[in-house]
Amino acid sequence: MSDSNLPEPRPSERVGALPRAEAKGTEPDFATLLVSWLDSHRGSLVDGLRRLGRQPLGSFLTCLAMAVALSLPMGLSLLLDDIARLGGSWQRAAQISLFTTLDVDDAAGERLRARIAALPEVAEAEWIGRERGLEEFQRQSGLGEALRGLSENPLPGVILVTPRAIDKAGLEALRLQLEDFSGVQLAQLDLLWVERLGAILALGERFVFGLSVLLVLALLLVIGNTIRLHIENRRSEIEVIKLVGGTDGYVRRPFLYMGTLYGCGAGLLAWLVLVYGIDWLNAAVVRLAGLYGSDFALAGIPLEDGLSLLLGAVLLGYVGAWLAVARHLSELAPR
Amino acid sequence: MIRFEQVGKRYPNGHVGLHELSFQVRHGEFLFVTGHSGAGKSTLLRLLLAMERPTSGRLLLAGQDLSSITTAQIPFLRRQIGVVFQNHQLLFDRSVFDNVALPLRILGLGKDEIARRTLIALERVSLQDKVEGFPSDLSTGQQQRVGIARAVVHQPALLLADEPTGNLDPRLAAEIMGVFEDINRLGTTVLIASHDLALIARMRHRLLTLQRGRLISDGEAA
Repeated sequence: MSDSNLPEPRPSERVGALPRAEAKGTEPDFATLLVSWLDSHRGSLVDGLRRLGRQPLGSFLTCLAMAVALSLPMGLSLLLDDIARLGGSWQRAAQISLFTTLDVDDAAGERLRARIAALPEVAEAEWIGRERGLEEFQRQSGLGEALRGLSENPLPGVILVTPRAIDKAGLEALRLQLEDFSGVQLAQLDLLWVERLGAILALGERFVFGLSVLLVLALLLVIGNTIRLHIENRRSEIEVIKLVGGTDGYVRRPFLYMGTLYGCGAGLLAWLVLVYGIDWLNAAVVRLAGLYGSDFALAGIPLEDGLSLLLGAVLLGYVGAWLAVARHLSELAPR
Repeated sequence: MIRFEQVGKRYPNGHVGLHELSFQVRHGEFLFVTGHSGAGKSTLLRLLLAMERPTSGRLLLAGQDLSSITTAQIPFLRRQIGVVFQNHQLLFDRSVFDNVALPLRILGLGKDEIARRTLIALERVSLQDKVEGFPSDLSTGQQQRVGIARAVVHQPALLLADEPTGNLDPRLAAEIMGVFEDINRLGTTVLIASHDLALIARMRHRLLTLQRGRLISDGEAA
């Protein structure tokens, strides 16, 4: 070793127990370092799996606790999506009904519908003629006999307009624009229903968000505490590693893999819990919907949502482990 | 190689670990540091391992001032030092081979090179037939030799030992000291903290004697 500044002399520059000639040519090149680095990662992964496997029940319960915390907000979020679907789509809820004057016949109504459908703000427009409207009214109102006694059809033609945008100001502007069309007597928009639905869903989303934040914090605490116990169990090993020149990154690596493995296990369990939980709930929902003449069913967990859940769980495991090790690393100085 | 220049170490509770200590160690030397419990032997070793920093003076190791070494540099400094402890500090859930190979894995050497150097180190302490065994299968003396093999496997420039024969009977202690001398003959500077004066006297190497953190003698053991 020369008396120049440290820190990292090349192995061939070290003076040690082996003669210099023997040490020469054995310093690791980039490829060796890379292979060794990958090998170290593989070793940490295998070691993490082995340690989890040594305490299968404890590891499973930790993953299960994390899975429950993960599946709650995800399950509620999926349920909200289903409620939104049950209440009809946003666009459907925001349909504008255009009542035409009585002199607009089917041909004129179709022409008017085509003009309206061509507007950029309109996604879809449907013409319901006077006769069809009367038939539907007779069928749905239960007043068929009474209506048949009328000398002429009192119902106007209707154009059901589905707008593209669903913001309140845009919908109101479109309603005013449509009301100015020739042959349109009244343009009606049930904004209150739209606002109520939006408010309910926004409340639900906010609730899910708040719950998610709380449960993410709880998850970080669970993973942090679990990793802290692993650190305590391996304190002497960590002290030795630091004494023989292991960097903080080297010390941190196996714990990051453990956190990631816990996250992965929890993500898979949460996915399973949701799949089976929704399937179990769906049977009752289908039966109830059937009593109301609906074919509604819970949508289940889409693949991309499941993968997001898994990825999120893995990230949470990694971050939780990183925070735990960062917090305890300074306490791990050799004694 | 090592230069203590008026090095002082005062702990936050007011206890003085070392008091203006000055001495030099040349490359390839073999020396003992002795003194009663609390004399400052362990503090001296901890300063050399950068586990603690001097509160005054300068401590130079291979030209690097350890008073100003950054935290990120410490692992790289320690890779040039081998350490042997009284209680061995072995990892009992790993094989003898894995214990000895640990510093080489940290250095990032290839598998073949790790195997080669580990076997050489184990041969040096006559434990080549225990490669696949576990520390719990070994006697106390053998465990200490595993600790020595781990300390020298990465060819450190400096070997530090803190009471390495403290738990051993006189015959085993002499055997372990013989291993240290072999390692020293191959060029490694060896610094041993011990209070076993009888053993030190037999070895006839340079001896530093500390008392309450002060250096009270520096000469060959008699």
